[in-house]
Amino acid sequence: MKKYSIIFLILLMTFTSCEDFLTVIPETQLSSATYFKTEKDFVQAINGAYAPLRGYYNGPAWLLGELHSDNTFYLRNVLFGAVENAENLADFSVPISNGTTPNSNVLSAWRTLYLIISRCNQVLATIDSVEFNADSKNNIKGQALFLRAFSYFHLVRYFQKVPLHLIPVPGRDGSGLPLSEEAAVFDQISKDLTAAVPLLPQKSTQLPGRVTQGAARTLLADVFIYRKRWSDAEQALAPVISSGQYSLMPSYALAFPKNSTNKNNAESVFEVQFREGPDGLQGNFLYQHLPYPLTVAEVKSLFNTTNPQPLDGQGNNIPTPDIIAAYEPGDLRKDASIMNITVSGRPGNNKITPIIKKFQDAHAQHQNHGINWPVYRYAEVLLLMAEALNEQGKSGDAVGLLNQVRSRAGLGASTAAGQAQVREAIFKERRVELAFENKRWFDIMRTGRIQEIIVPYGQRIVANPLNYYFPPIPGAVPRNNVFTNLEKFFPYPAAESEISPFF
Amino acid sequence: MKNLQLFRVKFRFFGVLFFMLCISILSFGQTQSVRGVVTSDPDREPVPGAIVSIKGTQKGTVTDIDGVFSITATPGDILVVSFVGFTTQEIAVVSGQTNLSINLVNSISDLSEVVVVGYGSQIKKEVTGAIQSIGGAELKDMPVSTIAQKLQGRLAGVQINQTTGQPGRGMQVRIRGQLSVSGGSEPLYVVDGFPITGDINSINPDEIEDISVLKDAASTALYGSRATNGVVLITTKKGKAGQTNVNLNVFTGFQKVPMRGRLEMMNAEEFAQFKKEYYEDAKRPVPSIFQDPAQFKDKNNDWYDALLQTAPISSYNLTLTSNKDRVNTSAVVGIFDQKGVVVNTDYKRFSLRLNTDYKISDKVNIGVNVAPNYVFDNTPRSDGDRGQGIIFNALHTWPVMPIRDEKGELTLFNRFPAETGNIFAYPNWVRSAQELTNETTRLNLLATSYLEWKPIKNLSLKSTFNVELNNSRFFFSNPSTATSAINQAIPTVAASIRETNNNISWLNENIATYRNTINDHSFEVLAGFSNQRFRLDQYRIQADTYADDRILTSQAAVNINRGGTFNAVQEWSLTSVFSRLTYSYKGKYLFTASARGDGSSRFGVNNRWGIFPSTSVGWVLSDEEFLKGNPTISFAKLRSSFGITGNNNIGNYTQYALINNTVNVAFGNTLTPGAAVTSLDNPNLGWETTSQIDAGFDIGFLDDRISFNYDYFTKNTTNLLYAVQIPQESGFTNFNDNIGEIKFWGHEFQINAVPTTGAFKWTVNANISFNRNEVISLADGIDRVYGSFHITKVGEPFGQFYGLQKLGNYANEADLANSPKIPGRSTVGSIKLQDINKDGVITFGGNQDDRTIIGNPFPDFVYGISNNFNYKNWDMSIVGSGNHGQDLYMRHLYSLANLDGVFNMVRKAKDRFRSPTNPGEGIFGTTVGGGNVTGIERDWPNSNFVWDASFFTIRNITLGYTFTKLPKAIRSARLYASAQNVLVFTNYWGGQNPEVSMQSNGLGDGGNLSPGVDLGPYPVPRTITFGANINF
Repeated sequence: MKKYSIIFLILLMTFTSCEDFLTVIPETQLSSATYFKTEKDFVQAINGAYAPLRGYYNGPAWLLGELHSDNTFYLRNVLFGAVENAENLADFSVPISNGTTPNSNVLSAWRTLYLIISRCNQVLATIDSVEFNADSKNNIKGQALFLRAFSYFHLVRYFQKVPLHLIPVPGRDGSGLPLSEEAAVFDQISKDLTAAVPLLPQKSTQLPGRVTQGAARTLLADVFIYRKRWSDAEQALAPVISSGQYSLMPSYALAFPKNSTNKNNAESVFEVQFREGPDGLQGNFLYQHLPYPLTVAEVKSLFNTTNPQPLDGQGNNIPTPDIIAAYEPGDLRKDASIMNITVSGRPGNNKITPIIKKFQDAHAQHQNHGINWPVYRYAEVLLLMAEALNEQGKSGDAVGLLNQVRSRAGLGASTAAGQAQVREAIFKERRVELAFENKRWFDIMRTGRIQEIIVPYGQRIVANPLNYYFPPIPGAVPRNNVFTNLEKFFPYPAAESEISPFF
Repeated sequence: MKNLQLFRVKFRFFGVLFFMLCISILSFGQTQSVRGVVTSDPDREPVPGAIVSIKGTQKGTVTDIDGVFSITATPGDILVVSFVGFTTQEIAVVSGQTNLSINLVNSISDLSEVVVVGYGSQIKKEVTGAIQSIGGAELKDMPVSTIAQKLQGRLAGVQINQTTGQPGRGMQVRIRGQLSVSGGSEPLYVVDGFPITGDINSINPDEIEDISVLKDAASTALYGSRATNGVVLITTKKGKAGQTNVNLNVFTGFQKVPMRGRLEMMNAEEFAQFKKEYYEDAKRPVPSIFQDPAQFKDKNNDWYDALLQTAPISSYNLTLTSNKDRVNTSAVVGIFDQKGVVVNTDYKRFSLRLNTDYKISDKVNIGVNVAPNYVFDNTPRSDGDRGQGIIFNALHTWPVMPIRDEKGELTLFNRFPAETGNIFAYPNWVRSAQELTNETTRLNLLATSYLEWKPIKNLSLKSTFNVELNNSRFFFSNPSTATSAINQAIPTVAASIRETNNNISWLNENIATYRNTINDHSFEVLAGFSNQRFRLDQYRIQADTYADDRILTSQAAVNINRGGTFNAVQEWSLTSVFSRLTYSYKGKYLFTASARGDGSSRFGVNNRWGIFPSTSVGWVLSDEEFLKGNPTISFAKLRSSFGITGNNNIGNYTQYALINNTVNVAFGNTLTPGAAVTSLDNPNLGWETTSQIDAGFDIGFLDDRISFNYDYFTKNTTNLLYAVQIPQESGFTNFNDNIGEIKFWGHEFQINAVPTTGAFKWTVNANISFNRNEVISLADGIDRVYGSFHITKVGEPFGQFYGLQKLGNYANEADLANSPKIPGRSTVGSIKLQDINKDGVITFGGNQDDRTIIGNPFPDFVYGISNNFNYKNWDMSIVGSGNHGQDLYMRHLYSLANLDGVFNMVRKAKDRFRSPTNPGEGIFGTTVGGGNVTGIERDWPNSNFVWDASFFTIRNITLGYTFTKLPKAIRSARLYASAQNVLVFTNYWGGQNPEVSMQSNGLGDGGNLSPGVDLGPYPVPRTITFGANINF
């Protein structure tokens, strides 16, 4: 019987240790059960919330904000199909079906912005239950509130009514929410930013690249201006201008961050941080804003990389004749913003093609650069303030701010007088000062000038396709559905609509 | 010969008993002493323990270990020689003839054979589940690298597809059509009682004695949460009672890709002609190079063919078995060496197995099996989509581009001027195949051991401890002169990947078995518990940009690629209790019930344990009075079973919310660590549950000369493990949940017959199975899941092809004007699609979608047939199998029929639409209009991609000759010739392998929800070998 007892004992031991035996925690990955416990966890989590900004500015932000305007177009390459996702934005033919669209860029904008929101929600939902240094905690909360508001501000301008997620989703239930009214979304954005301003440090005491109090105020002012709350905008911006934290760089070209230098300079209010190298923090938007095809030599002469490769496909974000013509004579910004290159593979006799110059810089590796994207520059702070003042009837003060920007561009003082003229002058100034910085579409739609600007733009393209980079090849003309979708807001992404029960 | 040795062991005691009985009878002998040797046909091995008796008397004897017997008989007596599993023979004693040689032939009926079942064995007659077993001897001559290839066509209800010809890879086994939405669908492989975690293909097929395939829930339920996909039990070789045997089995031969069946591409002249016509039709000037296509008449460059070679294959196996005294040992040493038909493919396996059982006393046995092996495998990046697979890329390369320059050297890469319409740079794929390293080296050890104690009669207590170790090293490198990606100018960036995987899996099982027979009641009770644990350690370094192509070490690289460099650990554990009762009354009323409880680390804390019960019944009708002695029906059995099984293939940490702490950011050009929650947790996550009902019968006619088996099954898989897509406004893409239900059902027929016996013996085995499935439900609010060109939808079978239905091409202006079309895109000669929703406009996707189901990747039925012929010393076998009624999606047509002439094209594109009076074959449309027009038919998945891929393949023909007059040292010798993949009969034109059918190659759009995709994988060669099988 003794032997049986031993067996019984082994049996017993096996079962008592069972739950331990069956609990296998991932060894090389952190799980939520053990995370969000320390200051370091929250610092890393807020850093993680910045990460999707790279993808957003490397892609959908310029596709929806700049290509979808009269500033840039694509260079049609007839050898390539499956390019309609960009083309539809450039020529205002985004397909719409029951309020949704299959356009992949609209989808990726939606998904990327909500990814930032969910990461901010994760931080905001858990940070107050952990005790650590108050300054550090406030700083993190301020950044999270800013990034959430920033994302919603983009979403609400793209889609008007959007689901408003303010806490982390618990599981499948609650993963989709009903659409919130535009006003409710704006209320939340203002609330978040108003809360963020006192929590955030000034630029001089914040780690370069992170959100600052100045950035939060600028964003808040941008939101107020969109909502035509002019005096609120003025109040939000005044401390930014008086803070002494910002100034215009001596020349326009110097305002833009280079591949590894001149980042977060004195003019920079908020910029998306890239870094070249193998760590996955790089951008490649320079390569997307090019006419194709390009030979190895042509690519090499642009970027001077050690491993240039030929480029093929269809290029986008090519400056239109319209934006080129928008610069006043003598405007130094024109040559700093746009350059001409020779594209030997372009069919026909005209090989000279304009490209965006303002972000250009040499870098080491093909398709891998560390150029930051300027989201808010001090020049825009001045123009926002000018707009806020002008709309309150303080046109004289507005022109003074406008002239600060013009003077750096080598231009004389504006001759505009009176609210209407100054409004127009600011609108024009914004176009050239902020060209290719994804401001143009928002300026057109928020001022209600879609019909006035986009319709004639479309007529010019259809009438003169060669001027808009169509090749001299029979049949290579604008499709017959161009400029048919002039809606203020984008349709919802179809892939999300299929899953969500609410839209 | 199936399982003969098991039976011999069992019956040895009876034999000895009988032998002693006979000695006492011998004294009655009179006139003459007859000596003889009993051997088995066709291998002429001695049969010990055979009973030799004189008909009509009680006189008899038993053969000794060398098969020799001696008996005293009178001339005219009839000697009756019998042994289990063989047909009884009668020989008249002739006066003066004192030396007899008796060759026993396998009996037709195999009902008395022993079948290996989960945790034991059963007599075939009493099996109540759906189990099919195959002896290693039946598979021995086939010149293939994997076990699954040997099983093709032989098993009813088991679909085995060879998805790629890469040696040692790509076999896909689906038992009873089982599929999971996202979990694994491969069966559980159990080697000598040990469920293995490594690659089944690293096991030398010559080590295998027997394979049992468990199909229904009653047979598999003892494997609980891992049983749903079916279980394959593999038993390795043991010595045969009383014998020592040395066997040498060698074969060598070559493999070649037949011309027949290759995807027909344009040659250089045809391609130039196409390009010429392309420009002419577009009314554009023809580039000078294409103005005279005839200049390419003798300058064709067949890039696909250039990658192929005739490749040698050889195998050497030495087997030593000995079962004497208390020790039963077998040792198998094997070398398998195969070059592939794509240049620079190399597959080698060195294996050793040592199985030893030792009987310490009548009550205690121990045994140890140790099987180390080493597998080396270098396969160029042959399979996959553009950018990955060089075969796919080679098909795309313009045949006017030279493979070799004037000096005969391989070109570096080819790129024609832009005005020729050449967009991409094409590296030289032959160079890529030669210069890229893509090798895996695996060192495996499989070791099982047991201690068995029989404290009292009929009770066995057995404890096992098993370990599996796998070490695999992977090395990929491309020097600056070669790449697998299209559109890479050479020199490119040299890159390397080094990966090491170490895994260990151990299992302890403790089983008590009690069996007894009391009067007419036989029963066996089994109970046990087990613990298994698995750990994988993974190390990977990816680096690029090297100063020197000769030294591709990690430290010599300029960049270490962060995304591709990691180490990781994967672990799981499983604790189980299980029990089974087997009962039979008079051997004709049969009953089995079993249950297993599994606790798994993979499941959520709220759902950690699962119970998997089963029961089955059988009734042997032929033992009943009303059928006994029936002249026609020799055997009849009805059986039925029900059981519940699980599938736990969901990954190890799926239940947890994971944090990715490499979501890094830069601040002011400084790399700063960041983190993000990347998945949602689900503490309720559990296994997939399948409940299965099986009903079948086995019937034998004419002394079992014809036997027939039928099974019907129906099973419902619920709680499907699925990453349910959730709105990404949540910040997450999916939520791992148990959702939905799929129903599977099918019919399986199998027939074994012996049309002729005697000098010319012919046996035939044929099977056919019909498998169906239907999605009953998915998640709440979700009734379909889309792939790029698939849909899985409630009320339809899994993974159907989904797209627009092609009606033809718009024949002329009138046709275009009067038909629904795509505004702004459709032109005369462009693809005409069906307006499914009748809104007058053709729309792809969105709310006015015109897509519909355009094909089914699952066959209507799969079938196989194997024939064995024996005539004197000659033997021959023919095995064939096929699938009928399944479609394939020719994914590669997307670019190989790109009507803009970007790539080389399929030859059929010659007969495309050129004008209303020259409309072509109707498959391909006009080239005029550029991407806006031609893009429709390639970018929008449509029925033009879907083609019938029914096929029948003659898998293997083997012809052998057994020598009888041999030197004394050689007991038997057989020479044979064997041909594998002899012929494929199919109308499929998309490539050489219609078996890519179940899914793509795990690349591109692969996965369970998107089966049946052809990307042009590694071709499956025809193999011809010559071999010898010698026993010493």
